[in-house]
Amino acid sequence: MNALKVEGLAKSYPGFTLEGVSFTLARGRIMGLIGKNGAGKTTVLKAVLGLVPADGGEIELLGRPRAGHELEWKQKLGVVLGGIDFYRGKRLSVITEVIRRFYRGWDERACRRYLDEFALDPRKKVEELSAGMRVKYLVALALSHGAELFVFDEPTSGLDPVSRDELLTIFRALTADGTRSILYSTHITSDLEKCADDITYIKDGRLLSSGEKSVFLRSFQHLQTAEDTGPLTLEDIMVRTERREFHV
Amino acid sequence: MFDLLYKELRLAAHPSMYVFLCMGALLLVPAYPYGVVFFFGTLGIFQSLVYARETRDIYFTALLPVRRGDVVRGKLLLAAFAQLAQLAISLPFAFLRTLYLPEGNPVGIEANAAFYGFGLMIFGIFNLVFFTRFFKTAYKTSFSFLIALAPVTLGIFAMEAVIHFPGLGWLDGTSPEALLRQLPVLLAGAATYAACWALALRISVRRFEKVNL
Repeated sequence: MNALKVEGLAKSYPGFTLEGVSFTLARGRIMGLIGKNGAGKTTVLKAVLGLVPADGGEIELLGRPRAGHELEWKQKLGVVLGGIDFYRGKRLSVITEVIRRFYRGWDERACRRYLDEFALDPRKKVEELSAGMRVKYLVALALSHGAELFVFDEPTSGLDPVSRDELLTIFRALTADGTRSILYSTHITSDLEKCADDITYIKDGRLLSSGEKSVFLRSFQHLQTAEDTGPLTLEDIMVRTERREFHV
Repeated sequence: MFDLLYKELRLAAHPSMYVFLCMGALLLVPAYPYGVVFFFGTLGIFQSLVYARETRDIYFTALLPVRRGDVVRGKLLLAAFAQLAQLAISLPFAFLRTLYLPEGNPVGIEANAAFYGFGLMIFGIFNLVFFTRFFKTAYKTSFSFLIALAPVTLGIFAMEAVIHFPGLGWLDGTSPEALLRQLPVLLAGAATYAACWALALRISVRRFEKVNL
């Protein structure tokens, strides 16, 4: 069964149009969503989550469409969208105590275990946590309610290499048993080289390519030049695809 | 519904809202335009919405397993809780002033049944204007508050002035007969409040459904 299926997603803002975005994320896999700033990655994630109402398209989570299954859907979602700055002045214990009430499958023992595992002190306030710790806190919350699809928007931006590596290790561990999946947008393509199974590339609001990582990389090797000594990386592919001339 | 209100009270309400709940104590000031108490009631709600925007509460709540409309419902539940709690907290002070300040309020309406009826109307109209305007964008708090302040101010002035109109002096009384006569005003206030709350919820939910978070 697919974790997520997006078909013909469309959304228009003044000056920006997202159209015809389709991709499928299988269970137990990590999909990296790439594209330059303003390409529409965050819009895709927000439309998938229902934070922005889509103008068109079908979205299925674990085989069920969102329409009519919104609450069921959200029980299975774990979300970390960029700039995690909510309830900065509140203690983790307070936030956790409030949030657990909304989830049917909340496991208090698991929550304590994950907080412990990630060295998160429930007495600390959100503002006292580093950016990496905040991501870990949200991952701990999502794990405590049995999330099966994790959606991350730039979770490793602004983190030091050690914290980034830690998070990537956590991401791999999350999907290891094949039941949980991750949809993950980032600019840091080297992270995706390390941990993504699939890549979806959005360019100017349109889907450029989506597929298994090695197939995806191979499909762009025609961009190689005589100076290249090895296969193109994700970063090379993005830079060469997006490159433009400036006449100033 | 309880969980939504609990979340609002624990995470989203601004601490100043709890201070404003106690503004009913102003009813013990011998000469004071008591309508201002209702203004403080609206101020606490406004502060909480500003705080919710700063703490990205609306965004966060929309990701919880609740319907999108429940984000709006949570805010209106918070408003109802704060406004009704404020009125309830003010009641003992209104009673005390009849014992210790029997000469009445020289600058405006007495804290009587009509006062509470008018107050409920003011709160109801505030909710209707403020929330329906705010949930068009889910971030324009100050502009929505300014727009809503116009009918609130008008309502407070009208309430303070109406007792000076010929034949309407009974609205200022605190005797058992006067309170009984004022009962329809109180009931009309409660009905207006409930109708405005329900309408504010309906319109705000419809508007919020279209908002891009």
